[in-house]
Amino acid sequence: MDPGPEIDSGPGADPPTAPAPPPQDFRRVSPLTPVVRGFVFLAAALFATWRDALRGDFGYLAIGFGIALLVGVAYGAASWALTRYRIGAEELRVDTGVINRQSRRIRIDRIQGVDVVQPFVARLFRLAELRIDTAGGDREGSLAYLPLREAEAVRRTLLARRRAADSTPPGSAPGTAPADVPEPTAQPEQLLVRVPLGRLMLSAALSTETVFVVLGASFVLGAFLATGQWWAITGVGPAVGALVLVLANRVSGNYRFTVAGTESGLQVRRGLFDLTTQTLNLRRVQGVVLTEPWLWRWLGWARLDVSVAGNPGQLTGNAESSPTTLHPVGPRAEVLWLARTVLGGLDLEQVPLRPAPPAARWLAPLQGRWLAVGADPALVVSRHGLLTRSHHVAPQRRVQSVRITQGPLQRRLGLGTVQIDSPPGPVSVRALHRLAPDARSFVGYEIAAARHARGRGAPTDGVHKVGP
Amino acid sequence: MSTLFAPPGTEWTSVSPRLTSARRVALVLGLTPLAAGLALLVVLAPFLPRWVYAVALGAVVAFLVFWWFWIAVLVRRWRYAERDEDLYVRNGALFRTLVAVPYGRMQYVDVSSGPVDRHFGIATISLHTAAPGTSAVIPGLPADEAARLRDRLTELGGAQGSGL
Repeated sequence: MDPGPEIDSGPGADPPTAPAPPPQDFRRVSPLTPVVRGFVFLAAALFATWRDALRGDFGYLAIGFGIALLVGVAYGAASWALTRYRIGAEELRVDTGVINRQSRRIRIDRIQGVDVVQPFVARLFRLAELRIDTAGGDREGSLAYLPLREAEAVRRTLLARRRAADSTPPGSAPGTAPADVPEPTAQPEQLLVRVPLGRLMLSAALSTETVFVVLGASFVLGAFLATGQWWAITGVGPAVGALVLVLANRVSGNYRFTVAGTESGLQVRRGLFDLTTQTLNLRRVQGVVLTEPWLWRWLGWARLDVSVAGNPGQLTGNAESSPTTLHPVGPRAEVLWLARTVLGGLDLEQVPLRPAPPAARWLAPLQGRWLAVGADPALVVSRHGLLTRSHHVAPQRRVQSVRITQGPLQRRLGLGTVQIDSPPGPVSVRALHRLAPDARSFVGYEIAAARHARGRGAPTDGVHKVGP
Repeated sequence: MSTLFAPPGTEWTSVSPRLTSARRVALVLGLTPLAAGLALLVVLAPFLPRWVYAVALGAVVAFLVFWWFWIAVLVRRWRYAERDEDLYVRNGALFRTLVAVPYGRMQYVDVSSGPVDRHFGIATISLHTAAPGTSAVIPGLPADEAARLRDRLTELGGAQGSGL
């Protein structure tokens, strides 16, 4: 059970630890922070008024903007002056707020990951934001904006102290950790995956949307060429333009995608405009999804997504370049190798899959032939999809609960669905439309295997087969 | 009950039949304003012919009568089993569900009781794990049984805990 909240707010929330570590000096964020935060407003104000201003003609608009600008500058300066942070031996403290003062303390031993994020405007000023992910979910800490070098240094310091806290046995006296851990030099990173730009662009182009737009456009073009109405070609423009925008967005999100192995986990870097660096702690992986869209299968390509405990707030958004993606596109063997790395050496291909019964095709006519599920003492795997084929994989020791559901049609056909519940994320292992005895024995196997994987109960031997 | 939802060697406990009464009261309380409004419209019959309102009223009454009996079926089917390592909860008649939650996976246990439930002396227990899909809800537990189950679940969760 979780002993309590990770982030304490407000004064008086100091943990009652005995000797406080000698306080390090408070440090401030970059003075350019208000400029970065207000950049959109500044740009809009300049854009709306520069012509009038050059003529020396200050209209009401300019005066209004001027007043807003003054207020904004004053507020920004105050906000900068009142924002400061301090890295202690046990906690990161971030004080913010002009009117409502907030003092957020993040316990260093609760830090799960530290991401360096560079939104586009911040990149112009060579600044970066630090996002500190704790196991508590969406209440993550943020420190913005720091000069990029300082951000990297703080990140390394925090991760080093987290490791130091990890290696200190929990029973030892608090406060004995070195108050100022020497800042480690950058560890040699081992580059594991790099996605070439050409492959990324081709993979974005080989999507179902492209096929639809190309088919539609050629139909329209053909029809109008046949009737000789040349002007109608312009109608195709917006559709093609929208497609190009969507594809460019996908490519820019995963631009220069690399995965590197570091001491604190896998480090994912990506992005053209918004540069993101994420660290994935392998202990938090709850499962993976291997996705193979139909156009990619000709080239033998696949994508890998992971479910990670503790940051459900980040898991929404564009799936093509979302924080859950660990490998946007690559040869199947390479993606499988990365999946093995993430799963701690377990191979999802080793789990024999058993297809769903023919009766399942009444309820899933399209994907029925491809539905399959399999389990061994370490992994549970399910396969889905007709066009976009996917393998959902969860380690048995991460299984939360097991459900059987049966609707009226399934009852007619003697089928049932078994759902393996995982923490929020892309992974959803489910045995759709299995024959009732199979579903029964699968649930029994899963309960026993998950129990053993948690360190309780007798081991299950062999892979799951339909029981007697 | 098909064998799919009844693993052998499991002792199932039913929820309190008072849940039927509580749900029926809630149903009637919920539908009364609508039915009263429609009845008024049947009498006054503004804008539309009277039979339109009568049909609507008939539909509401039919819905009420259907649910009146269906609630009893659902409550009868709502059962749970405390096993050594996990809790089974089973419910549903048309769409059936059985969820098995290991005690060690529980994050927290909620006990809730609305005004109608309190009047009938029953409470609802829901179990939460790190997975949002886990929907282990047991309504209609007598208040003392709910307190006992909550304490037992918390204790077992602490003893067998493995969180994530």
